[in-house]
Amino acid sequence: MNEERYILFGQYLDNELSAEEKTNFDKQLAEDPEFASAFEIFKELNQHLENKFGNANELKAFKKNLKSISKEHFKTKKPKVVAFKPWQYAIAASVAILVGLFVFQNINPSFEDYNNPEMATFIERGDVNENLKLAQDAFNAKNYKAAIPYFEAILKVNKSPEIQYFFAVSLLEDNQFQKAETNLSELKSGTSIYKNKATWYLALSKLKQEEYKSCKEILLTIPDDFEDYDQVQELLNELD
Amino acid sequence: MANATIHPDQIYIDGLANNDSAIIQSIYKKFVPKVVHYIRNNSGDDDKAQDVVQEIMILLFNQAKTKKLQLTCPFDAYFFLLCKRKWLNEIKKSSNKGVTIDEDLPSNNEPTEEMVTETEVFDEKQQLFDLMFQKLGDKCQELLKLSFTIKSMEEVAEKLNVTYGYVRKKKSLCVGQLTQWIQETNRFKSLKII
Repeated sequence: MNEERYILFGQYLDNELSAEEKTNFDKQLAEDPEFASAFEIFKELNQHLENKFGNANELKAFKKNLKSISKEHFKTKKPKVVAFKPWQYAIAASVAILVGLFVFQNINPSFEDYNNPEMATFIERGDVNENLKLAQDAFNAKNYKAAIPYFEAILKVNKSPEIQYFFAVSLLEDNQFQKAETNLSELKSGTSIYKNKATWYLALSKLKQEEYKSCKEILLTIPDDFEDYDQVQELLNELD
Repeated sequence: MANATIHPDQIYIDGLANNDSAIIQSIYKKFVPKVVHYIRNNSGDDDKAQDVVQEIMILLFNQAKTKKLQLTCPFDAYFFLLCKRKWLNEIKKSSNKGVTIDEDLPSNNEPTEEMVTETEVFDEKQQLFDLMFQKLGDKCQELLKLSFTIKSMEEVAEKLNVTYGYVRKKKSLCVGQLTQWIQETNRFKSLKII
């Protein structure tokens, strides 16, 4: 094996040759096809190994994601192909045009369509926590702006996922997106029962800000055992 | 080739390389049904179609990561042709002989054909490179694996308990060994690497 040649190849790729050595190298590349061919293979091998080992984790993540998207696609999409006769095409086309005329304002889905915050029920009988009561009443009366300071006060004393979730929803209703999203993201990366709900609201926050692409990306991370998964799917379909 | 204009469908290639779920889903939605339909009508089924599609997507991921794959034709035609040819190859492999398949490329579409060929050559090369890598001795394999995973040669040297200079030299020699084998392989010549 021509050891020196390969060592030289390595040095060239790592930019370790002096200006003069480099000029000689380039000259040889131009003049000697066998040398150039060997170097080309050497270079491609380096690229190949770099991808094979350097991106191994990325490839693994990609395969996993691909598999789950593929599974989902082939599960739901059992495409039924109905063969139309020519005259049926004509009817279908005219119906499509008519429908198109009437529903032309088919626009993007809106936050309001999906915004159904649940009732807050923090207080049990005999409970005397003043702030909890005030927060609950304000929230259930959809007076979110008023509820926010109460939630803040409660969280200062006792931080629970439940309160944090209702706090974040209130912030979102009040259009305090950044703060809402910080709290939702925290819940999303946690393990409480509010994890999926928070992810859902995080997607709704993007929807409200008309960031459809990130909305969709977040929706796709919600597992299908989420209690309101039908809503997730509906929104995903609308976004397409 | 380098000067050819990049097609707007490049977003699909970039999406694959970035593992962008929204893009991958839209590929499934827009382009996969046609592939499924074709495979079903050519002695395959949904499962086979699913496999072929995944293999092609992984191939595109690797090509995009390794060589900065630049699309110069519509993704639709490119993707369909890749899947179709992969499937036809598989049928050919599994059937003993004598299956006549209409395998003509649409000859009116040169940029697409060129792109498809490029990807197929990339695929063959990858397989050849992997095959040769398996032939290397354990020491070379380990050293290459480490130096392309860790990147810092100092760390690799420490891990293997050798000097920095040795790792540098050995790395070039191991890749050199691969280079030599590949040059000697006749199969490689048909790939027209340069």
